[in-house]
Amino acid sequence: MTGKLRGTALAAGILGVGLVLVVHWLVFFWVSTERSMGVVQRIFYIHVPSAWVAFFAFGIVAVCSVVYLWLEDERVDAAAVSAAEGGMLFTTIVLVTGPFWGKIAWGAWWVWEPRLTLTLLLWFIYLGYFLVRRSTENPQKGKKFAAVVGVVGVLDIPLIHLSVAWFRSQHPGAVVLKPEGPTLDPGMLTTLFTGLGAFTLLFLSLFMYRYGLERLTHARAVGRTPAGQEPQPQGVAS
Amino acid sequence: MREYLSQIGALLRKDLMLELRTRERVASMAAFAVLVGILFNYAFDRSLVRPQDIAAGLIWMTIVFGGMLGMGRSFRTEEEEDAMQGILASPVPRDAIYLAKVAANLLILLVVVILTFFVFWLFFGLHFGGDPLPLVMVVLLGTLGFVAVSTLFSAVSSRTSMGETLLPILVFPVLVPVVIYGVSGTARIFAGRPIAEIAGNIRMLGAFALVALAAGAILFRFVVEE
Repeated sequence: MTGKLRGTALAAGILGVGLVLVVHWLVFFWVSTERSMGVVQRIFYIHVPSAWVAFFAFGIVAVCSVVYLWLEDERVDAAAVSAAEGGMLFTTIVLVTGPFWGKIAWGAWWVWEPRLTLTLLLWFIYLGYFLVRRSTENPQKGKKFAAVVGVVGVLDIPLIHLSVAWFRSQHPGAVVLKPEGPTLDPGMLTTLFTGLGAFTLLFLSLFMYRYGLERLTHARAVGRTPAGQEPQPQGVAS
Repeated sequence: MREYLSQIGALLRKDLMLELRTRERVASMAAFAVLVGILFNYAFDRSLVRPQDIAAGLIWMTIVFGGMLGMGRSFRTEEEEDAMQGILASPVPRDAIYLAKVAANLLILLVVVILTFFVFWLFFGLHFGGDPLPLVMVVLLGTLGFVAVSTLFSAVSSRTSMGETLLPILVFPVLVPVVIYGVSGTARIFAGRPIAEIAGNIRMLGAFALVALAAGAILFRFVVEE
C-alpha cells in the first residue's frame, strides 16, 4: 500500500467516522420528528445513505468486472473485490435497518415490495460473487468467474427491478430525487446529506484499505511463485 | 454463417447422442417431475385450494427445481478426462460451444416440461385453456431464459470445488424475472384471460432470454479458457 493511498484512506476514514458520529447526534438530538411516522422515521438517515452506498458499490463492481475481463489487470480486480465487500456490508445494513422501521410503520418485518426484493437479491448476487471467488483452486479462475457473476448481475438488475415493480409499491416514494425538487424539510435534508457524506466517506476509506490489502496479498503471492512456476512443496528433501 | 451453424449442429448432435444413449439427465429430471407431482398432491388440501388456482406456480417450480438437476450436469462429460480441452482445441468459436450447449439443454428440458404438464393434467385434472399458442410461447421463452442462464453458470460451478451445490445460489437470484413473468403469464392463461393480457409477459420473457443468451455467448469464453 503506497503512502499516498494510506494517507487518503486514513483521512477519509477519520472524516467518515467523525461524520457518522455527527449524523447520530443530529438524528437523536437535532432533527425534528416526522409527523405521521414518528420517532421510527429517524432510521431513514442511516437506511437511505446505506442503500445509496450499496448500489454505488455494485456499480463499481460491475464496471471493474467488465474491465477486468477485458484487460485482465490485477488492480481492477482488486478494486472490484474491495467494492464488493463494502457493498455487501452496506447492503446488510440496509436489510437490517429496514425491517425495524417496517415493523412499526407497516406492521410487518418484511413485505414483498420492489425495492426490498431488489436489495435482498442484490445481497445474494454479492454472495454468489464471493462464493465463486473462493471456491477455485486457481485464484485467477476465481477472479474471472466472479467477474462473470458481477456482469450478469448488473445486466439482470434492471430486469429484476421491472419485474418486481409489477407488484404494487408499498415503499415510501422518493422525497429527494424528484423532478420538482426535494419535498423534505430542510433540517431533515441536512441530516440526510450528512449521512450520505458520512457513509460515502466511510465506504471509500474501507475501499482504499481493502484495495491496499488485496494488492499486498497479490504481491506476496506473486513474490512466492515467480511467473509460470508452481509453488514448491515445502519440507521435501531433494 | 453456414459454417457457424454446422459447427453448432455438430456439437448439438454430439450432446443429444450422448443423452440418447445414457438417458441420465432426462430420466432423473423426468422422475423428479412425476414424484414432485405426487408430493404436491399431499402438500395442500384440495378441498380448500383448487389445483387450477395454484398450478401455474407449482408447474414452474417443478420445471426450475427439476431443471437444476439436469443443468448442473451439463458439462459433466466435458469435465471427465479433460474432454473440454479437445473441444476448445477444435476450430470452433467459444460462443458456438455455448449456444450448442444451450440448444441441447433446451431440447432435453423441453421433454421434461412437456412431461410436467402431462403429469399436472393427469394428476390434478387441469385444463390449459383453448388456444395453445400463448402457453407455448410463455413456456418456450421462459425455459429458454432459464437454460441460457443456468448453462453459463453450470460452466462456472462445474469448475469450482463447490460444484453443483453452487448452481442454485448463482441462478436463483438472477432468475426472478423468469419466475414472475412465467408464473403470472401461465396463471392468466389457465384462468382463460384474453391474449392481450399475456402479451406483456411474452415480451418480457423474450427480452430476458435475449439478454441472457447474448451475455452467455459473450461471457462463456472467460469461463472455459485456461
